[in-house]
Amino acid sequence: MKNSERLIQAIKERRIAPVPKAFFTGRELLLWLVFALSALLGAAAFSVILFSIQQTDFYLLQHSGHSRLELLLSWLPFVWMAFLFVFLGLSMFSFRNSRRGYKWRLTHLAAYSFGFSVLLGTAFFLAGGAARLERAFDVRVSIYQSMEEKKIKVWSMPEQGYLSGVIETVDGEEMTIRDFDGKIWAIDISNAFVAPVLALDAGEQVKLTGRMTSEGRFEADGVRPWGGPGFRHQKK
Amino acid sequence: MLISKKICDELDDLQIIRKALAETDYFSCLYERYEAQLLRYVQRVAALSEEEAQDVLQEAFIKIWRHLNAFDPQLRLSSWMYRIVHNEAVSALRKKTSFGKDQQLVIDESLQSRLAAEWPDLGYNDEIEDREHAIRTALSELALPHREVLVLRFMEDMSYEEISDVLKIPEGTVATRLNRAKKALAAAFASYSSNTKRP
Repeated sequence: MKNSERLIQAIKERRIAPVPKAFFTGRELLLWLVFALSALLGAAAFSVILFSIQQTDFYLLQHSGHSRLELLLSWLPFVWMAFLFVFLGLSMFSFRNSRRGYKWRLTHLAAYSFGFSVLLGTAFFLAGGAARLERAFDVRVSIYQSMEEKKIKVWSMPEQGYLSGVIETVDGEEMTIRDFDGKIWAIDISNAFVAPVLALDAGEQVKLTGRMTSEGRFEADGVRPWGGPGFRHQKK
Repeated sequence: MLISKKICDELDDLQIIRKALAETDYFSCLYERYEAQLLRYVQRVAALSEEEAQDVLQEAFIKIWRHLNAFDPQLRLSSWMYRIVHNEAVSALRKKTSFGKDQQLVIDESLQSRLAAEWPDLGYNDEIEDREHAIRTALSELALPHREVLVLRFMEDMSYEEISDVLKIPEGTVATRLNRAKKALAAAFASYSSNTKRP
């Protein structure tokens, strides 16, 4: 018996049928879907990383009594960095396993994936999506500590010279603010640097550096806006 | 009832695939068209006996049959079939190696002239009396990733693009691997020369 006959006989005897085309098409579509989703999620993660960099008070690293490394580590968005790497890996994996994905070198694939995340993530960040995403994540994931919460934590240490809240009244060289725990503070701003972009109006969120002189009283040496335009604190 | 050779010869690869999907017997045309070539490849890359290589080829063709709908017409059918046969051969080789059986590579007589033409600086020379034995020994000592690119390039006479399609690696990696294989082969020749010179 010829080998070809033996083969056809084996196929017929074992009733082996070709796997339907729909299976392979579906698999390919699934891979592309995973690629598209992970590329988008990677971009979203990158946008939040950008947002967290924007929210980091770098000047504190120089003036803080805390260890600079400690402060920097407390601000690094590890969760989002992990997301970025996971989604980058997933997008590379799905692309590499697509029909012609093997044609790409892994290093090139990594560079293009990262480049795509950077471009799309930057656009998402500039459109304000990162802040909304981070807040939405904060609301839905109870163990997650948002950038906002981390920031509030740092800026709610009046004994160590950091205070923040919403301006209640402004009267010459004095103003009152309500901190994020609802406590009212009388602030002496006679010797304070006031950031030029800041309008000292009621309702404005501010952060102050200086020293606590007594219970409920704070002498400011710097007054700065809390965050970017339109950025408002939302409690969980 | 198998399809006659005359009918098979009138069909191109894609026509055979289409007909085989409708009538299984037509798949024998594909087998007969590529049997000799692929059988030789299995023996070259996996150092199997003819009987073992036949078994590998049968199993590989059953996989080809099962995955017939996955064939991408943008590829050459031969490259796609080599890929499946290659995977099956490597898998058989791994099983065999794990049982510690002897390996016997089948090499092509023209290989040494092709190697010499492409890589004149390779390092084997007239001092080596039995070149075929030298090549066989050197190839046997190479790691599989090196041996497979050498076999595909110099015995199967494939382009970088085709090798890339068979091994599912980028063309740049094919070039890098070939370069490393060349160095490994040169080292193996050097080792062979020094061993055969000993009294």
